[in-house]
Amino acid sequence: MSERIREGLYHALLWLVSLVFFAPVFWIVLSSFKTGPQILAVPPVLFFRPTFDNYTKLFADPAFEHHFFNSIALSVLAVLIAVAVSFLAAFAFSRFRPAATNFLMFLLLSIRMLPGSAAILPVYLMYVAFGWKDSFVAMTLFYAMFSIPFSVWILKGFIDGVSPRFDETGIVNGASWFGIIARLTLPQVYPGVVAALIFNFIFVWNEFLFNYIIGGINTSNIPVLLATNLSQGGGIDWTFLSSLTTIYILPPILVVYLFQRYLLVGMTFGTVRGEV
Amino acid sequence: MTGSVEATAATPSRRRRADFFAFLGRREVLPSVLIAPVLIFFIIWNTIPTLWLLGLSFYRFSLTSGRAPIYSGFYNYVNIINDASTWFDLSRTFIFVILAVGIETTAGFFLGLLFWGSDRLPGRRVALTLLFAPMVVTPVAAGTFWRLIYDPTFGILDWFIGLLGFPAIRFLSDASAAFWAVLAVDIWMWTPFMVLMAMAALGSVPRAELEAAEIDRLTLFQRFRLVILYHGKFILMLGILLRTIDAFKTMDLIFDMTYGGPGTATELVAMTLFRSAFESFNMGSSSALAVILLLISIAFTATFLYVLYIRERRTAEA
Amino acid sequence: MSKEMDAPAGADTATTERKQKRIGRRQLIRASAALGAAAALPRYAYSQSEKASPLAGKSIHMQILGIAGWLPSKLGVDMSPEFAKYAKSKYGYDVSFSFADAPFGALFQKAATSLATRSQEYNIIISDSQWLGALATPHWIVQLNDIIAKNPELNIEWWSPSIRSSYQVFPDGSSKLWGFPQVGDIIGIFVRKDILEGPGEAAAFKAKYGRDLPTTWEDFDKMDFDQWVDLIAFFNRPEKGYHGFCAQYSREYDAASCPTMSFMRSLGGDVWDPKTGQVQGIFDTPSNAHAMELYKSWLKYQPPGATNYFIAEVIDAFTQGKVFAAWQWVATGKTMIPPNLEGKVLVVPPPAFKKPDGTLYRNYIIGGQPWVINAFNDPEHMQIAVDFMKWWYLPETQREYLTRGGMPCDKATCSRPDFDGIYPWNRTYKYMLLRSSDFWHDPKYSEMLSDQQQAFTGYYTGQIKDPLHALQWVACQQQKILYDEGTAAKAPTAACSGITL
Repeated sequence: MSERIREGLYHALLWLVSLVFFAPVFWIVLSSFKTGPQILAVPPVLFFRPTFDNYTKLFADPAFEHHFFNSIALSVLAVLIAVAVSFLAAFAFSRFRPAATNFLMFLLLSIRMLPGSAAILPVYLMYVAFGWKDSFVAMTLFYAMFSIPFSVWILKGFIDGVSPRFDETGIVNGASWFGIIARLTLPQVYPGVVAALIFNFIFVWNEFLFNYIIGGINTSNIPVLLATNLSQGGGIDWTFLSSLTTIYILPPILVVYLFQRYLLVGMTFGTVRGEV
Repeated sequence: MTGSVEATAATPSRRRRADFFAFLGRREVLPSVLIAPVLIFFIIWNTIPTLWLLGLSFYRFSLTSGRAPIYSGFYNYVNIINDASTWFDLSRTFIFVILAVGIETTAGFFLGLLFWGSDRLPGRRVALTLLFAPMVVTPVAAGTFWRLIYDPTFGILDWFIGLLGFPAIRFLSDASAAFWAVLAVDIWMWTPFMVLMAMAALGSVPRAELEAAEIDRLTLFQRFRLVILYHGKFILMLGILLRTIDAFKTMDLIFDMTYGGPGTATELVAMTLFRSAFESFNMGSSSALAVILLLISIAFTATFLYVLYIRERRTAEA
Repeated sequence: MSKEMDAPAGADTATTERKQKRIGRRQLIRASAALGAAAALPRYAYSQSEKASPLAGKSIHMQILGIAGWLPSKLGVDMSPEFAKYAKSKYGYDVSFSFADAPFGALFQKAATSLATRSQEYNIIISDSQWLGALATPHWIVQLNDIIAKNPELNIEWWSPSIRSSYQVFPDGSSKLWGFPQVGDIIGIFVRKDILEGPGEAAAFKAKYGRDLPTTWEDFDKMDFDQWVDLIAFFNRPEKGYHGFCAQYSREYDAASCPTMSFMRSLGGDVWDPKTGQVQGIFDTPSNAHAMELYKSWLKYQPPGATNYFIAEVIDAFTQGKVFAAWQWVATGKTMIPPNLEGKVLVVPPPAFKKPDGTLYRNYIIGGQPWVINAFNDPEHMQIAVDFMKWWYLPETQREYLTRGGMPCDKATCSRPDFDGIYPWNRTYKYMLLRSSDFWHDPKYSEMLSDQQQAFTGYYTGQIKDPLHALQWVACQQQKILYDEGTAAKAPTAACSGITL
């Protein structure tokens, strides 16, 4: 009996933790159904008649669709390119261990170390010099570059966990290296691949600074739209902020929900039974 | 028969292609081929800007001055190091990073353990998704809304505190509270990330070993050190490393909530850099500051990785 | 060999003859060209006001970079179809405008990065008055003196001399002009008339302070700082859900600086000497320290959290009825007075300060934005930009701008008898334009402002106890910045080394 109660309390605690972390997000979502004065009201308005005006206004704005499409396209393409390229490199680092492995891995990590505000001007000048300003392709590649460090590191970690026996089996059976990579290793590390895809997707999804400065009408994503229209007539447009934020977190939340399994699986996927 | 004859009678271009791929597949060449795309990305998008930055740090150059850059050696670096406020900002940032990453990792790991053992939690998937929601919110939105939540007049937190009978806390407008208020938001936002990392680390532990450890009656701490940490070290370490590097660059939240104020209460080093690089357009000195920050990050990462793998190196050598 | 030597000689004679003929022809061509140019020149100079513009028949697109979500900023583009009609009929070209909007906090960044690459992406840029130096010094924007000389219609008579010095002049005190005022803005106090005129208030006030409760604009005009304190103390009723006042104190941009500098100037002090670039000795005076103390003393009657308030928070506090009165830029008037507060708000001048001789004095910081012309515009876009400006400042255009919610600065429009009635803040706007001035336009404004903001917000939140010390620190920093730049003649004094906030 006490075991059941203990488990019940345990579960309640876990749900409490989840709800506490979710509470501010919940507040934003709730606010998206309120009017401006209701959002600012104190005591806080918890029971009210919800309005969908904020959303109708949002969807009626052609800029919303355009920016949302850009967001999706940029994020998806960039992480796909990044993970593909990173996978190849991670495989090489893991299996062949070229002499410069540690150095290169470290170098890749250093990409993340540079604060955005320092890198923005040189990147901007470079982009303008190459004529890449407001180029969709160039923006995608930039985001891909930024997704590479995390992807390489996590994929290498996963590939390290795949026994080389598989490769040996593949070679013995006459597969080319590309065959091994694609058909033997990849299926065993797809949790890592999914993790890399999801984390980088979230990062690119929410990126503002580079998109604002280097981008233009062809590449503007939602964070730029959010920042631009946040202020109306000097005051903050709370209804716009809450409704756009709510819509904008839906895709990543959905992704996290659907692919959760892969995010939580560890790196023992690739061990051959009997090996530790 | 005819088919194989046709197949073997490959056209010159097809043969060349096959030879090419065979060449690429050779053991000496293949690693370079696989790494090449990443390197190309790295060189174009990272090396060029970094070199530009490094070079410019030795010049005095302000974009809005209309004057050409003036070579000045280490002038910028000396200025920054001699400026007392740099050290205040750095120490404030260090404290922020240590506290943020420390609390996020500890809480993350603890929560990760709790959730990891909760296979039978009803609605587990939903609960975890809700838990991960803070990571996903756009920083501008999170910062602006937290500013509202923290506001004594309009915010829900102070209303709640008032209900409990305490006087309103001026979270963002009081110099002593602002730092902790911003820290709290960072912890709120990134603990879920560490939970994720912890759960992935735990997932790397073979069930067999955990059970063996239980059978052998190892203490919790021993179990943690010998089994969990051994297998999950890589992912945990990656998480801590990434989080530290990112925490050092914290700027978005501050920009929306307090802008570095009141006074210098929330002036973290990335905020100073932003101001210098992107508002004053002091390219020379901001580049120098960026280089200094980069060196600090590199030093930290190198030390971290070294210490982490020192035992492995020792056992390998032994 | 000799043959070849001879041949050129022979050919030379022939070519020389031909050359001479050509030269003669060339001279003739040159002469006629000169004649034609001479004939054409006066026509070109007048072509601005005649149908024959060099751009006739062309179709050009112009882009204006402005502030997102700020109505007056967008009005230029909103009203551009009328300019297109005007241009078509008057000059014969087609023009279309588009508005590139940027969040105000990142507008300068967008403009500066674009201009740094010599791009003509933004043909006209709406800039804050502080940025004039930063945009003019690297020659990113056009100096307008010649253009104004050639186009006398652009030599507009402004409502106040401070329009020119605030929105056009850089360096401060010189005669170089770089921008035109796009929207003027000043500080006004928005007062809840309905609370003011509540039953029994006048009597209670009279009983408490022995003075009449101010009810009209004129009453408020005569109020000095101490009387204002009495008023907001009287209406400071947290138990009823509203405080007496709210203003701007936050670290962002110039939130704390503008009110503080307004007080400093109104008390007779100043922030620097534009001619010598001297800050020390002018900024760090006991009078300025006293101004800081006065502004801090107002916090007693403001909602908790007021030290983090900037424009948006003041709007929220006032529109949600959390305060009786609010200090605010009047260009946000439409947002400050939403439909539910219409008719209930009085917009009055901010407090005056008593001079030693007893007269009232106000010298507040001016707001608003000028717009500037991109120096990298090709001749066509440059011409259209000039034409646009000329059209913009026609009285008819400014009138339309005013009725649509803009804040004009020209004397013609502001002097109109119906001006005050169009919006509740217009009277205060005209009044305060004559009593407001700007602070530095220096290219280093951003660093100077940042140090200042740090000190002010530190003092207002109690981190720094001594306002004079704070001012001395700021003066040291600013003196150093200006001296390194070459604007200031004197270096920071020896007392500056090692000074910390």
